[in-house]
Amino acid sequence: MKSQLFSRFLLLLPWVLIVIIVLDIDSSRAPLPALAPRGGGGGGGGSGGARPAAARAPPQRRPEAALPTIYAITPTYSRPVQKAELTRLANTFRQVARLHWILVEDAAARSELVSRFVAGAGLPCTHLHVPTPRRYKRPGLPRATEQRNAGLAWLRQRHQHLPPPQPGVLFFADDDNTYSLELFQEMRTTRKVSVWPVGLVGGRRYERPVVENGKVVGWYTGWRADRPFAIDMAGFAVSLQVILSHPKAVFKRRGSQPGMQESDFLKQITTVEELEPKANNCTKVLVWHTRTEKVNLANEPKYHLDTVNIELTSSEQSLKKKRASSFSLSWAPEERHQKIAR
Amino acid sequence: MPKRRDILAIVLIVLPWTLLITVWHQSTIAPLLAVHKDDGGDSQRDLTAGLDSKEYCLSDRDIVEVVRTEYVYTRPPPWSDTLPTIHVITPTYSRPVQKAELTRLANTLLHVPNLHWILVEDSQRRTPLITRLLRDTGLNYTHLNVETPRNYKLRGDMRDPRIPRGTMQRNLALRWLRETFNKNNSQPGIVYFADDDNTYSLELFEEMRSTRKVSVWPVAFVGGLRYESPKVNAAGKVYGWKTVFDPHRPFAIDMAGFAVNLRLILQRSQAYFKLRGVKGGYQESSLLRELVTLNDLEPKAANCTKILVWHTRTEKPVLVNEGKKGFTDPNVEI
Repeated sequence: MKSQLFSRFLLLLPWVLIVIIVLDIDSSRAPLPALAPRGGGGGGGGSGGARPAAARAPPQRRPEAALPTIYAITPTYSRPVQKAELTRLANTFRQVARLHWILVEDAAARSELVSRFVAGAGLPCTHLHVPTPRRYKRPGLPRATEQRNAGLAWLRQRHQHLPPPQPGVLFFADDDNTYSLELFQEMRTTRKVSVWPVGLVGGRRYERPVVENGKVVGWYTGWRADRPFAIDMAGFAVSLQVILSHPKAVFKRRGSQPGMQESDFLKQITTVEELEPKANNCTKVLVWHTRTEKVNLANEPKYHLDTVNIELTSSEQSLKKKRASSFSLSWAPEERHQKIAR
Repeated sequence: MPKRRDILAIVLIVLPWTLLITVWHQSTIAPLLAVHKDDGGDSQRDLTAGLDSKEYCLSDRDIVEVVRTEYVYTRPPPWSDTLPTIHVITPTYSRPVQKAELTRLANTLLHVPNLHWILVEDSQRRTPLITRLLRDTGLNYTHLNVETPRNYKLRGDMRDPRIPRGTMQRNLALRWLRETFNKNNSQPGIVYFADDDNTYSLELFEEMRSTRKVSVWPVAFVGGLRYESPKVNAAGKVYGWKTVFDPHRPFAIDMAGFAVNLRLILQRSQAYFKLRGVKGGYQESSLLRELVTLNDLEPKAANCTKILVWHTRTEKPVLVNEGKKGFTDPNVEI
């Protein structure tokens, strides 16, 4: 009798284990993405600033598994203020939950400065690079086209392999602009393409879409208001679904007039009627098109005279192709990250 | 036929174990498989020339998985009883980029534990813009204001950028600190002057927290150089200044290049920035020489070899399309 019971128990044991594991996998698939925005009273829901808790109750109740990832594509190029710009941009982005930063260098090879920066950045970051052909580097021509397209291509290619649907929102973040934290909260609810005002652009204090009855009907801008989408690169976000369902939508160079980059891109993926106005029906400025002054280096001697070699810009480093093995890439940031998190 | 029963029993035993093993294998191998697939699919993308498709996909996928789960988003970080408070004094004045500058400065300061932001406006009254901004950030702050009289303002006409600006505001903040904190039993604190257009790395704040008297470090983009820095000898003492513009100043350092222990500020209660008769570039010296000597300076940032703060300046935005009377709705705050 006993041996029969014993054998029956042994028989059932592995089945029970299987059932437990299957249940565990199902339940862990949901909260796994939500491990990041814990703490802060659910403030990780991208809530901008410390609003009173009552007003912020709805976003907190939202199941964390559904929090869309924000992808920020930032083209960058080497100049003295590059590291400073990236530093303060990283300081802003690190306040946002589930933000994935796609940094694309205008360079033929990954620079050491940016590689080191990315390793210690403190947020999920993808480091790409693509050089702009020299013939496109004249003033008046659109800039950063290749870099933004590279970011789009990476995103499309990455999501070929992940199971759909992965909610996500994509926006183009230039490295010298200023972003308020509230902006990320607004753009996270993008269903297709959302728009909002941008400060200090178009020769005016701000530019904005004109909204009537919750729909965009026109553009309030100081420069070429006749464009189909008279909006700055910092003034819109696109949902990942739209990007993936329009695989041929890229920024164009050929036949693109100055200031038409955004229009040429947006008209491939949406129409003015479909745009979703954010920022309180486009009446609040949550992003500013700031530009940083060129640095005065008049007192620098021609040749390097200092006894130490302090890193400031990548153009002075020799661009050796240091290909870190994927093993070290996957371990190094973790330990650096633990220092930051403390 | 006992054999059939035995076979059945064996199958029933073996089956679940094989299932378990395959599931376990799948969960560990799947991420590796994905990386390999990426390398294969590279060649099909149509990108502009010059792209190294292999490097393109040195996928930071591994980094993504590792980093993502560790960052905790509390804004600002919880107050600690052991860390000294950093009092950051920021003078500010109204201009189109003001809100943008303060927004991104606040986004940086929100990372720093035990930080107290003293924002001093150059205005007659506290403006609603700043009041709302400070309240919305959630930072620990103090909002002051003092208006620079017009004859001083005219001197700051930006033809000579060395004419000190923000002096009265910084002095007001120093006075506020002295009135608020008792020099005998106050919490440990550090005082730092942070202009609203500079760029600060988070490491800087941790470096200055250990200041005993006055600590110094290099600052980028000042004095017409890539950076200015104190000269540190082998014993770790500051003995000079590595600058081109007047290196013989008593303290040839930028406002963003030093921090003072709060106790020192409270002890030397008459030490302020000099208002009148200050030569360009001597403003910092006018305060520091009343607080400390060269010998007492503590070099930070790895003996002054790392840049942790950049003296960036923001371009004046082009607002030609506003016209004389202004075009956009003035009620929309920027």
